[in-house]
Parts: sequence; structure tokens; C-alpha cells
Amino acid sequence: MPDAVAALNPSDRLRKTLRDPLLLSILIILWALLALFIVYPLASLLIRTFTDEGKFSLAGVWGILADPMQRQALWNSLLLGTLVGLCGTVLGFLFAYTAVRTNLSKGWAFFLDAAVILPLISPPFTTAIAMIFSFGPRGLITYDLLGLTSVSVYGLPSTLFSETITFFPIAYLTLKAILAGIDPTVEDMAFSLGSSRWRVFRTVTLPLAVPGIANAFLLLFAASLADFATPLILAGNSFPVLPTQAYLQITGMFDLKGGAVLSFVLLVPAFAVFLLQRFWVSRKYYVMITGKAGAKTEIKSVRPWMRHLLLAVCLLISVSILYFYVLLFYASIVKAFGADFTITWKHYHVVFTEGLQAIRDTLIIAGIGMPLGGIYSVVVGYVVCKKDFVSRRTMEIVSMINYSLPGTIVGIAYLLVFNDPPLMLAGTATIIIACYVFRYGPTGIRTTVAILQQIDPSIEEASSSLGANSGTTFRRITLPLILPAFFAGLGVVFIRSMTAISATIFLISINWTLITVRILEKMTELELGVAAAFSILVVLIVFIVIGAISLFLRLFRQPGAPDMANILGG
Amino acid sequence: MEAVRIRLEQIHKTFLHRIKGEVTAVKNVSLEVEPGEFLTLLGPSGCGKTTTLRMIAGFERPDRGRIFIGEEDVTDLMANRRNIGFVFQNYALFPHLSVFENVAYGLKVQGKNSADIDREVAKVLELVGLTAYERQFPHQLSGGEQQRVALARAVVIEPRVLLFDEPLSNLDAKLRVYMRGEIRRLQKALAITAVYVTHDQEEAMAISDHIAVMNEGRIVQIGTAEELYLRPEDAFVAQFIGRINALPAKVLTVADGTVTLSLFGRDFRLTAPPDGLAAGRMIQVFIRPEAVTLTRETGGDLLRGIVVERTFLGEKADYLLEMDGGRLSATAYDPLRHGTFAVGETVGVGIESGIIHILKGEEE
Repeated sequence: MPDAVAALNPSDRLRKTLRDPLLLSILIILWALLALFIVYPLASLLIRTFTDEGKFSLAGVWGILADPMQRQALWNSLLLGTLVGLCGTVLGFLFAYTAVRTNLSKGWAFFLDAAVILPLISPPFTTAIAMIFSFGPRGLITYDLLGLTSVSVYGLPSTLFSETITFFPIAYLTLKAILAGIDPTVEDMAFSLGSSRWRVFRTVTLPLAVPGIANAFLLLFAASLADFATPLILAGNSFPVLPTQAYLQITGMFDLKGGAVLSFVLLVPAFAVFLLQRFWVSRKYYVMITGKAGAKTEIKSVRPWMRHLLLAVCLLISVSILYFYVLLFYASIVKAFGADFTITWKHYHVVFTEGLQAIRDTLIIAGIGMPLGGIYSVVVGYVVCKKDFVSRRTMEIVSMINYSLPGTIVGIAYLLVFNDPPLMLAGTATIIIACYVFRYGPTGIRTTVAILQQIDPSIEEASSSLGANSGTTFRRITLPLILPAFFAGLGVVFIRSMTAISATIFLISINWTLITVRILEKMTELELGVAAAFSILVVLIVFIVIGAISLFLRLFRQPGAPDMANILGG
Repeated sequence: MEAVRIRLEQIHKTFLHRIKGEVTAVKNVSLEVEPGEFLTLLGPSGCGKTTTLRMIAGFERPDRGRIFIGEEDVTDLMANRRNIGFVFQNYALFPHLSVFENVAYGLKVQGKNSADIDREVAKVLELVGLTAYERQFPHQLSGGEQQRVALARAVVIEPRVLLFDEPLSNLDAKLRVYMRGEIRRLQKALAITAVYVTHDQEEAMAISDHIAVMNEGRIVQIGTAEELYLRPEDAFVAQFIGRINALPAKVLTVADGTVTLSLFGRDFRLTAPPDGLAAGRMIQVFIRPEAVTLTRETGGDLLRGIVVERTFLGEKADYLLEMDGGRLSATAYDPLRHGTFAVGETVGVGIESGIIHILKGEEE
């Protein structure tokens, strides 16, 4: 009955931990890092929010809530998050259902996947910029095609549209996994009991997918709540949201405390989502227990006309995504989009002269953060999954915090803590790298844990029975098996280092800047062509790196190892 | 290498279960496996057989008691120092290594040079018939092939003992029968002491020199397949090995080495009964279904029964009979020659005194 083996009792665990010097020193280092880069900044943020001249006070929070403008921002953030959650989930479900239940040919499936992946790996402004090129005052569609001059691209509808396009791939990946996990024989069974297709969908497929749908909604809500780039460009003055308000409070009014309080207000719904996901949705998943893998059944849940309709809708959306990217590229090679369509390389010239520092800095930061993030992910994942020690659960949860919080909160918290001696790290590459490692490492941690949980303990026992000691077993068996997680952790940290902005915009300096920040600057300076060129460059670099990592993953592919698409979705 | 003896002395093991609290998996088990013997631990799931095996391997440490392999006390030795070969239920092949690398793993750990490794791996792969598979990876193999790799990997290091944890339970029925023959052949060829765990009594009977039947953490009876089948010492063994009728009978008289019982309204005289039977007591007696004879004639000494259920199985047919005072299972072989009985038919039931089995101290 080895499966009945349970955890040691706490005192045995403590004794065991203290007896293993290697584990003990790893734990001390990890806890020191987690305390410094996760717990301490967040605690400082809370303290700053709730104290006034050293005493506990709610004045700061009341001050914000009393301000109609800030109240409006809170309301707007929640409204936008809910709408993006709803629209994105519907769109994601549509795509996922089409991908899983309509017998797509390989080519079609690849096309849909590729179109959907694009927004996930792009810098955050890409769709926003393309929206302006399309629907702005001199936009291709509004001005050139329809001849409209008085429409405004700024506000809720365009922000909603842009965020939905940017984030729905998250819902797609989540729901695709859920739908693919539903055994089609269960649907066959419902058919055989005399249900119509619609009834099968309503009474079998949809209920089984509900936990996934709830999860997708929460993920999108959180993503929209945290999104800083899109509203900054598209929301305009009439539609303030919390992350941009917090940013403006700090950069425009140099009010660090006001920024801290605003980000606390943002933290409340973000934390609620985190709790809902962790303690509610994750328990609602249905486990599909099927004895033997059934004979591959022809999936009959969709009528031919329905199949065509679904495909047409997905195609339309994929094409509009591709249209955005083509437009972006076009804007990067013409003199002045909307006015002068002469082909020119001058924007790229700017990128590679004036912008060279940002490119170099970003690549250095991403390049250093990449291996560190990979190692951090694998070590934390291994320790949390395989070792039994005091504070194991706590470590698992703490390591996830920065990942779950909106970047604005993390950025402001870091700014509070690392802007003064003794830890004056603001403006250095160190702090930007640390931010990325602790914020994006958790994807790799999850992958490590997922892989380790799939490695049967008997594999390590087999190695032991063949005479290998625990060191040899780790080196020759465990390590090669979790290598894909290392690459996953590494890849995500790299991609996010190239594309993120919400946290690090508070941490850049004259000495260290980032491409994404330059894109933002060029947007505000109305040098849209240069911004487009920068964006295209980032997409290209990320594409190349993802290609390389995918190749590696395929070379080292283990049973149960995730592929790149799933990693991005997590 | 000389085959060695395995000896367990009073080993005891408890686990802390998440829900049930402390659970005793193995209760003071003592056992000796002779050099070169093939011993099977047989029992239902949760009986402690796998835990016992894992303690011999060194994956679990007993709370009390000692374990000896050969003359060496290995109780405190880690698994990697015991020099054992272990075959897992799920094979536990290293998924990232090829067949060759899987088999070579233990030799590499021993630090052998690559020429020796090549030679020894080739030899073992030939022994299990996988010579052409060296470069394949585990996921490219069928279940039976994976099992043979696991076997090769376990024996290539020339272990002192071979341990098997339900190695055939993931294979289909035909392959299971074939592979158990292969395992037995290999163990005999290597003349190595083996302990085998299974819950399948037929497999245990086919493969073992001796079988130790376990129940609720204890060894209930050890013996050859024949001994366990013909002379079970315990109701659990009687019912776990093969099928058996457990029937209530009344003791009529006990005198000088014989006992008279009343069963289905008929008197039976048994010789050499166990001690402790008293006249007038109700006891439980056991009868194997295949020991009962069924005939179309119903006269003479025969009891009468009505067929309630019939299961036709090809070489035999199982019947459930309604008797005077209870139900009885009976099996009739060779239905081709003898024909079958229909449900509702009244048949003659022959029960000889010799087939009635009374357990020691088994009184109701």
C-alpha cells in the first residue's frame, strides 16, 4: 500500500529538514530571496497604504475612494475586466470548440493556432497601435475607407476590442485543453440515448466545460485588470482605469503614496480572483475517468452547416488579427501612415541608431534573466514537489504571488522598497531582472511540478535498486526529465522580458531602458512609424527564440512534457 | 553467483494514512526463502504483500524486525546497497533512455567499462529476446516488450535476489500466461532466489515453488500450490485459493479417530478429524465444487439437487444447486462427453466423505 504513505508529522519533518544540509541551505537561500523580492515589497506597499506618519490610518484609502475620478477608475477597471472576461471567453470557447470538435485538417488547425498565438507573444501595445492605424483620425478603415473624420478611437469600445483580441488566446488555450479532455464517447452516449445535437451540447458538453469557462473568465478578468499598456493608449481621458491612474499619480504628480494606495485598490479584486481560482475553480474540475481509451469516434456533435459557420467566424477573427500585424508592418515601412505612403526604411534606421541602447539593454536583461528564471523555476518546483519540509505549502503560495498580481502593483511595490538605501536598486539591471524572474518564473515552477507529478516514484526507486545513490539518481534520471520545464521557465522569462511593461516601467532609468518603454515614448511623441518598427522587431526576436526553444523541447521531449503553446497559456 | 537465502524476522510496518490515521500494513511477519527458491506472496489488495516486498528491497524500512539477505543483515542498508533486482508493476523504465541505456544503467552506475557493458547488455537482451530493440525508446515498445526490458534491466546487474511487484498485471491475459513462463524460465536459468507479489492465485500457482498467502498484514499459510489447495489450514486460504463451498454441518458423534456429521440431511463418516470437535456442535465444512459428482440418475446413495444456475465455460460447466437445506456449487468437466444439465432439472449429487474438509479449530 505505498499509495497510502502520508506526510511525516511536523516534528519529524523539521528534524529531517535540519539533517539534510544541502536542502537546508537551498531552503534558506530561497526563503531569503522570496522574502526580499516578494514578501517585503508587498508588505511595504500595505504598510504605506495604511499608515500616516507612522500610525495606522485609513485616510489614504478613504481619500482615494472619496475622489470621484478615482472611484470612476475603479468602476471602469471592474467594468472593463468583466466585459473583456465575457467577450474573450465567448471568443475563446468558439475557437476551442472549433479546434477540438470540427475535425479540422492539420493545415487549418495550424493556421488557427498560429493566428491565436501572435497576440500572446507580441508587446502589449501591438493591437492598440494597429487599432489607431485602423480606426484613428487618419485610420485606414475610418478615414480612407469610410471617409469618417469625426469618430474618436479612444474610449471603452476600442479598449475592450483591443484587449479582447489580445487576451482571448488565454481563454482559447485553457478551454481547448478542457474540451479536448472530454471524451467524445460521452457525447456519443448521450446521442445513443436519443438527444439532439443541441441537447447534447447543452446538457453534456457545456456542463463539463463550466469549470474551464469559469477559469477562463477569471484569467481574462485578471489580465484586463492588470493591463496597463492598452488603456494607456486607447482609453483616453474619458475612461480612466486603475493601472494608468496609478502610473500617472507617480510619474505625473510624483505622488508615491497615492500610487501605492491606488495599486492597493487594484490589489483587492486581483486577490479575490486569485482566491477564487485557487480555492473554488480548481476544485470544480470534473475528472474524466475512462477505462480503456475508446475506439476513435467520428465526432458527430456538429452539423455540417454549423461547422462551416464556426470555421467562418474563426477565420474572420484570425484574418483580422493577421490584418493588424500586416498593417503594423506596413506602417513601419512607410514615411507617415495616413499621410505619406512612400516606402522607407527610416523608422528602422531610428530603431537601430537611437534605439540601439534599448535593444541592447533589453537583450542583456532578457539574456541574464533567462537562465536565472529557468534555474529558479526548476529549483523551487523540485523542492516544493519532492521534498517534505516545514513551510513547503507556504513557499508554494508565496512563489506564486508576484505572478498573480497586476504588474503595476509589483512595480510600485518595488519602487517603494528599492528606491532608498540600503537597497537602492531602482534603475539598475539587477532589479529589472529580479522583477522578471520572480514575476514570470512561476510558469516554469508550475511546469516543473506538473512534470514531476507525472514521474512515477517507482522510476527513482528503479534507479536506486540498480545501485544508484540519490545524487546519481537526480543527475541521471530526474534532471533530464525536468529539462523541458527548465526550458519552459527560461522561455517565458525571455518572452516576458521582451514584451512586458506594466511593472518595469517604474524601474527603468537613464542607464537601463527597455524596448517596450521606447515604444510607449514613441507613441506619445506621435512617431508611430518608429513604434511600429520597434514592435515588429520584438515580434521577430520572440518568434526566433520561441522557435529555438520549441526545437529544443522537441529534441528533449519527454512523455507529458508540455509544448510551447501551453506554456504561454499558463 | 551462489543463490542466497532471504530471511525476515518479525518485521512490522505501520503507515500514517491521511484519512484513516495509523494503519498497520505488515504485522510481525517472519519468512524464509531458500536459496534458488521462487516464493510468491499472494493476497488481496491491501494485505501487506507489496509493503513486505518493498521492505526486502529497501524502499521502506520496517518499524521493527530484521531482514537478512544471505548472512548479511540488510535492515539498515539503503536500496542501492542491497544488490537486488526489482521489477515494477508499471515497469518504471526510464522514459528518456533507450532500451540499451535502460539496461546499461545499473552497469554504468557500477562503473564498468563500456566494452563490458556492451557485451553484458547484448547477452541479457538476447536472453529476453530483444536484441533488435537496443535503440528503441520505451514508448515505442509494446507492454510485453517493456516488461522484458524491465526484466533485462533487473537481471543484468547479477543481483543476489530478484523481486517482482505484480509485474504482469498490466498485460493482457494471453501475454500474462506467456510472460510468467518466461520469468520462471529465466529465474531457473539464473538459479536466483526470487520473491514475487501477485493477487492472482492462478499466476501464483503456476509460477512458484512456494506460496505465502497473506491477509490483513499477516502470512496465513505457506506451502506449495498443491498443499494450499488440498489442505488449507484456514478459511481465508480455502476461499482465496480456488473456489470452495463453505457449508454448515452438525457434529453427531466423535469417537476414536472418526467423526460423524450431518450435511444436507445425510450422515457422513470422516476419519482423522482435527481435535476439539464436540458432538452436538454446528461447524463449517468445505467442499470443492469440482469434487462433487453430478449424474442424471437420482437414485441409490445420491443426494438430490435442482439446478438453479448454469454457466457453460467450454471445458467445464458450473452449476448452482438447490439442495435439501442449502445451496451447493458444483463443477462438471468435459460437457462434450457427459452433456449438460438444464436449469430446473433434478440431478443426482454425489458427495463422498473424503472430499469434506474440516479446518483445524474451525468451530462455529
